[in-house]
Amino acid sequence: MIKTKARILVVDDDVQHVDTVKTLLESVGYSVDYAYLPEKAIEKAKSSPPDLILLDVMFAGPPGPDGVETSRRIHADAALKKVPVIILSGVRKVLDLPFKLEPDDEWMPVTAFLEKPVKPDKLLAEIARALGK
Amino acid sequence: MKLQTKTNIGIISVFLILGVSAAFMTFKWQNDHAIKAAENRVRLYIRAGWEIYNSKIERIQATLKVLAEDQRLQRLLRDHADGALLDEVLSELQAIRSDQNMDILNVLDSSGRVILRTRHPEMRYDQVSDDPMIRKVIKERRGCGGTVLLDEKRLGAEGQDLVQWCTRYGGEAEGMMTGAAVPILRNGKLIGIIQMGNLLNGSVEKVDRIRDSLFENEQYDGKPVGTATVFMRDLRISTNVLDQNGARAIGTRASEEVADRVLGKGLSWTGRALVVNAWYLSQYDPIRDPDGRVIGMLYIGSLEKRYLDQRSRAVFMNLAIVFGGMVLAMTVFFLIMRTILSPIRRLYRATRRLSKGDLSHRIEVRSRDEIGELSDSFNYMAEQLLEDQLKIQQSQAELERRNEELRVTNRNYMEMLGFVSHELKSPLGSAVLGVYSVKDGYLGTLSEAQQRILTSVASSLDYLNEMIKHYLDLSRLEKGELKINKRIVRLKEEILEPSIQGLMPSLEDKQMTLESDVPELFALCCDPQAMRIVSENLLSNAVKYGKTGGSIHVSAMVCGDQAVFTVMNEGEGIARDKLDLLFRKFSRIDQPNTAGKKGTGLGLYICREIVEQHGGKISGESVAGKWTRFTVSLPGAVTIH
Repeated sequence: MIKTKARILVVDDDVQHVDTVKTLLESVGYSVDYAYLPEKAIEKAKSSPPDLILLDVMFAGPPGPDGVETSRRIHADAALKKVPVIILSGVRKVLDLPFKLEPDDEWMPVTAFLEKPVKPDKLLAEIARALGK
Repeated sequence: MKLQTKTNIGIISVFLILGVSAAFMTFKWQNDHAIKAAENRVRLYIRAGWEIYNSKIERIQATLKVLAEDQRLQRLLRDHADGALLDEVLSELQAIRSDQNMDILNVLDSSGRVILRTRHPEMRYDQVSDDPMIRKVIKERRGCGGTVLLDEKRLGAEGQDLVQWCTRYGGEAEGMMTGAAVPILRNGKLIGIIQMGNLLNGSVEKVDRIRDSLFENEQYDGKPVGTATVFMRDLRISTNVLDQNGARAIGTRASEEVADRVLGKGLSWTGRALVVNAWYLSQYDPIRDPDGRVIGMLYIGSLEKRYLDQRSRAVFMNLAIVFGGMVLAMTVFFLIMRTILSPIRRLYRATRRLSKGDLSHRIEVRSRDEIGELSDSFNYMAEQLLEDQLKIQQSQAELERRNEELRVTNRNYMEMLGFVSHELKSPLGSAVLGVYSVKDGYLGTLSEAQQRILTSVASSLDYLNEMIKHYLDLSRLEKGELKINKRIVRLKEEILEPSIQGLMPSLEDKQMTLESDVPELFALCCDPQAMRIVSENLLSNAVKYGKTGGSIHVSAMVCGDQAVFTVMNEGEGIARDKLDLLFRKFSRIDQPNTAGKKGTGLGLYICREIVEQHGGKISGESVAGKWTRFTVSLPGAVTIH
């Protein structure tokens, strides 16, 4: 199915969610790395750039950058500039945030915005679309 | 119209009517009375005039009576030829005539022949028995006084100078004489007559005496107050009426009307008469000779202007009194009205203040009459209103407080609901992804039983998801956090398509077809995110309650100034009486076709809230067993690009 083993970085503070996504993606042939905190994710991405980043927006735990900020920082790194970012969040699109969150290349490298809960068909289709770009 | 204006008009009308009637009555009474009084006055004047006229005659008669007793006169009558006696008597009588200022003094024999004529002693022995005065004395053997006409012959006999005198004033050789004749008796036998008289022609003594005793020669407004005239027939022979030149109007004639009545019929004439140049209230009486023939007229006139002016003054005085009284009465009335009306006006102002909400205003009660009672009642009413208002304010405050408590409770509840729902999303996210990954075979093939159980679990998770979404929306709505930011939105691209995307799996599951005739460019004015919640809810309902294998139809149109879009699905439909219940919070309809289908009972409530916050309307219609259709209409600037 997947010819090259694409590397996907999953960033989410929900351990169960990371586990489920990792299992699903690996089952269809992706190589999956993960991080529970944004700082950690940026660090990992810099040390070993992934082919795609799957990113949550809101993070529990110590104060740090949110998903949007994280994607901006990644985008700011020259080596990671072209890496597509898919946001997968429990945040209900638009209603929960005071700013526009439509995918837009102009200001952040988000290629898709998925709302939890997402079904595997939809998630895999969006990942395939982002990687195919 | 104000009460005061009404009463003013009323009372002024009453006063005016009374005033005008009183003035009219006064005027009428004055008029009638003044004229009657003036006429009566003229009647009195003429009676007095006659007294003066006759008193002279009586005096002559009295003088003659004394002379008739004179022995020498008797002797002379027996012997006319006694020259010495004649001269003696003549000179004595001449002295008397001159002294009495008489025109004639004659001694006649018993047949009426002149024996002695004092004026012209040479003329004697002529017969004057056609003189009615003489005739009467001969016949009745007693004295007779009065007025007689002297014809030309008689005048001539008395003296040519008298003829000339009379013609000077009238053109007719005729004279009118007042005087008397008295019989001279001896032993009861008529032996002669003595006659003395005065010609009235040109003589003013009599009329001036009448005028002076009645009117004291008074002038009014440059005119004599009264005048007297003696007419010979209709000719003025003795008068103090002055003509235009200021001369006595002797020689002029009376009017035909007067002459007809007085001379012709022998009656008095009373009325207004224009005498030379002024109106006089006049009376003309006939003058008769001893035979009773009308030979002239006595006239007395009283200046009318004096009466008219008196009357005018009286009328004016009366009117002044009437109108003065009216003004006084009205002033008193207005003052009384003011004292009555001013508390009414105070009451009126007070009710106005009360109606504007000033409940603390009270009226000062000054009188103990009905107005005072009314003011008391007003104050009592205001007091009650104030108390009631305080009570209402208290209970309103209480209500407000409780409402606030309820709001806080509700907000807390909604906060909690939102928080819990949100917290549920994360675990639900991994649960859905996990279950579907297994169910859809990504992690290996499943047995039929495994597949059935997982399908059921997945369905429960979907319901849970729907519930969470609805509770989050509800929480936002109830907390008032849902802000509507309207802009022009393309219905198909920005709202319908994203909503349909999430529903594709369910549509496929139920083998339903979705038809849309919404034009690409159809636009409406709304908050796109909020409207997406509406369209998602309507569409997911259409899928959930639609007939398996049936179709869903979405359409949009402009209807007046409204943008309308509808979602219609084939299916069992909803009973008409239950359609409205659908839009209530937590409403669930128990119908055979909904059995076993889970719902939160919030979807349509949320839709209605959002649509109404847009100022629009949402409604449902259905034909049982055939279809259900929901229609959303939004107002505002609708443009189709």
